[in-house]
Amino acid sequence: MSTEPQALPINRVGPVAQPGPVRGRRIGPYLVMLPALLFLLAISIAPLLYSLVVSLLRYNLMNPDRMGFAGLRNFQLILSSPDFWNSLLVTVEFVVIAVGLELVLGLGLALVLSRDVPGVGVFRSFILVPLALAPVVVGLLWRFMLNTESGILNWVISVLGFSRTDFLSNTTLALPIIALVDVWQWTPFMFLILLAAIQALPHEPFEAAAIDGASTRETILHIALPMLRYPILVAVLLRTIDAFRVYDLIFMMTRGGPVNATDTLSWSVYNNGFRNFNMGYAAALSWIILIIVTAVVTVFIRLLAGRAGETA
Amino acid sequence: MSDTNGRNRGLVSRFAEHTTSRRQLLRGVGAAGAATAARRSLVATGVASAAISGATAGRAQDAVTLRGIFLPATWGTITQQVFAPEYTEQTGVEVVIDLIGRDAIHDKMGTLFVAQDPSYDLFNVDYNWVPEFARAGHLVPMDDVLSAPETAGDDFLPRALDVARWEGVLYGIPQTVHPHILWYRKDLFDEAGRTPPATMQEWRETVEFFQGKEFGGQQVYGWAAQAARGFGNVHTWLTFLYSFGGDAFNWETMEPALTTPEATEATAFWADMMKFTPPGINDYTYDEVTNDAASGRLATCLQWSWGAFAVDNPESSQTVGKWEFVEVPAGTASVPHLAEWVISVSNYSQQREEAIKFIQWLESPENDVRQALLGGGDPVRTSSYANPELTEATVEGNPDLKRFRRYPVTLEAMETTQPRPLFPEEERWETTVSVPLHAIQLGEMTVEEGLAKAQDDVNRMMMELGYY
Repeated sequence: MSTEPQALPINRVGPVAQPGPVRGRRIGPYLVMLPALLFLLAISIAPLLYSLVVSLLRYNLMNPDRMGFAGLRNFQLILSSPDFWNSLLVTVEFVVIAVGLELVLGLGLALVLSRDVPGVGVFRSFILVPLALAPVVVGLLWRFMLNTESGILNWVISVLGFSRTDFLSNTTLALPIIALVDVWQWTPFMFLILLAAIQALPHEPFEAAAIDGASTRETILHIALPMLRYPILVAVLLRTIDAFRVYDLIFMMTRGGPVNATDTLSWSVYNNGFRNFNMGYAAALSWIILIIVTAVVTVFIRLLAGRAGETA
Repeated sequence: MSDTNGRNRGLVSRFAEHTTSRRQLLRGVGAAGAATAARRSLVATGVASAAISGATAGRAQDAVTLRGIFLPATWGTITQQVFAPEYTEQTGVEVVIDLIGRDAIHDKMGTLFVAQDPSYDLFNVDYNWVPEFARAGHLVPMDDVLSAPETAGDDFLPRALDVARWEGVLYGIPQTVHPHILWYRKDLFDEAGRTPPATMQEWRETVEFFQGKEFGGQQVYGWAAQAARGFGNVHTWLTFLYSFGGDAFNWETMEPALTTPEATEATAFWADMMKFTPPGINDYTYDEVTNDAASGRLATCLQWSWGAFAVDNPESSQTVGKWEFVEVPAGTASVPHLAEWVISVSNYSQQREEAIKFIQWLESPENDVRQALLGGGDPVRTSSYANPELTEATVEGNPDLKRFRRYPVTLEAMETTQPRPLFPEEERWETTVSVPLHAIQLGEMTVEEGLAKAQDDVNRMMMELGYY
């Protein structure tokens, strides 16, 4: 059997099969894309550019008299503000804790539940329930459960003989607690992607490893994980982007507190934009977040591309 | 119209005799709705008498619909469920009230105003937002409304009106006031042989005495008040600040005055008092304080005057009739912080006159009393505080227990109360100050460190805003 890749027939016949004048062939694809491009322009590109313009303005909705061009002043104010650096640190900590744990737990669950054992289907369905809940509801539920006096978690703690803990008013615990709530909700997402990837893996390498006497640990470390690296990177990338924008849980559970222990970048944007109506500042902050997220995404994509190159 | 008024009197007298629970309120509204339906049925079958001719004539304005956003507190709820339908019944003007939370009202007002959106005509406004929205030209000036004879403007509590002004112009008609007053458990105080504290020092001794003691098998904490980050801790701290002679700003220079000796003393006292509070206090909002008061866990609390209805509700409270009220203990003086909600009209409303008429009707002397009887907020008119319908009202099942026994104290508090610093960026100021105050109450910063940070943060904010 030849190992030379077979090109798809459509690639060969494509140019030949398209009748009509050359100009028509050039314009045709663009005409087809035009509605989607216009839609994208209207709902995504235009607001993005508008927000860039706003970020260069001194623009408070409730003080229109002072509106004017401010150049990079908003960016300068942000970068010189200790609150911004605190928010950045808080956000990074949140992302690292939440996404890291979600990956470990999601991968572990996917490896365990990819096997055909009785009842696994029910368990798989059950594990997806948190994913179906609105983050606002999740935040509220956990806030109740963590309540010092009436929360079930503190009740369990007190039954076990420990003193009740005011989790959400503790500057050390509040952020990890919110990250854990995020883990509770989003681990199933990671699990779902990785389960699908595991189930799509070819059987042959595993069979060969088994014949060669590889242990389970060696099989996972040297066969499964390398083969899963792209799905893992994609899942981590998606969760990282999402975790960077965490807002709902903060809103429902701590509103940035205690002190400023959970004051994430998104919360800061909300505070400046919709509490203070300081749109110029909020837009500049949003652009800084976009730049940070883009940088992270670029690193991930480089990793993907690099690995792809290695494989080739 | 006469039957409508008769129905209203029935509702009012029923509520005058009993404490208003939500269920009772809805039952009353249901009865009113049934009466309305019955009358409509009469009209439809041509059996209507001349008695309703006036109401029918009022239907000339059937096309008018007013939309408002109110707080889902008791005053907003009765506006939506009782007064709006009643106004429609009387005038034919439909009034649709949406109830949304405090922060959401502020956000929504901002976005609607910027878009010059006429969707909503009326807004329930926390008074500290008046300067912000008035400066930007989003609210309708209401001095003419106040001076109109039908408004009876002289009767409003002076301080209630003062806080609804920006640069001397009135932008809202008060709907409810609730200054801080000190609640204390009279039964526990009697049992312990103690008298209610008149000074801050006495209050501290009192809460230290009660903290952790058991009364009737129930552990009691010294005091509680709002302490959550955001606005809760700032609102409590302001009463301490004002009562120790401090202020938020040097109003001549607009520089923050958070590191003055008065501010330092007040903050140190407040932080020290936090030792005598229940676990979880740093997350307490109005609801937690009220729940603790109703469940019997507190000996005293610094709470809005209006909230006292909750501890006299036999359906939800274990302390009915046990709470009494005095003015906030004096540092150098007793200066409680004021909470108040006003009603304003959007400058983009296409039905300003109708909106103003509704406010005039809702805040008429008669309806100010009725709002209180129906379980709304504390009245905004001086005359209401002397109205026998209120002063003689008793709690359901307790004919000797005066339902509004807090009113004399509330009225006294309205003589000395101080508002939040009234300037357009007050909301932002609260958010800014709240963070270092939270650090102080959690012990993350000393009083001096926290106040120095607050001073720096506010300074930076004021410079950025162009005040200096």
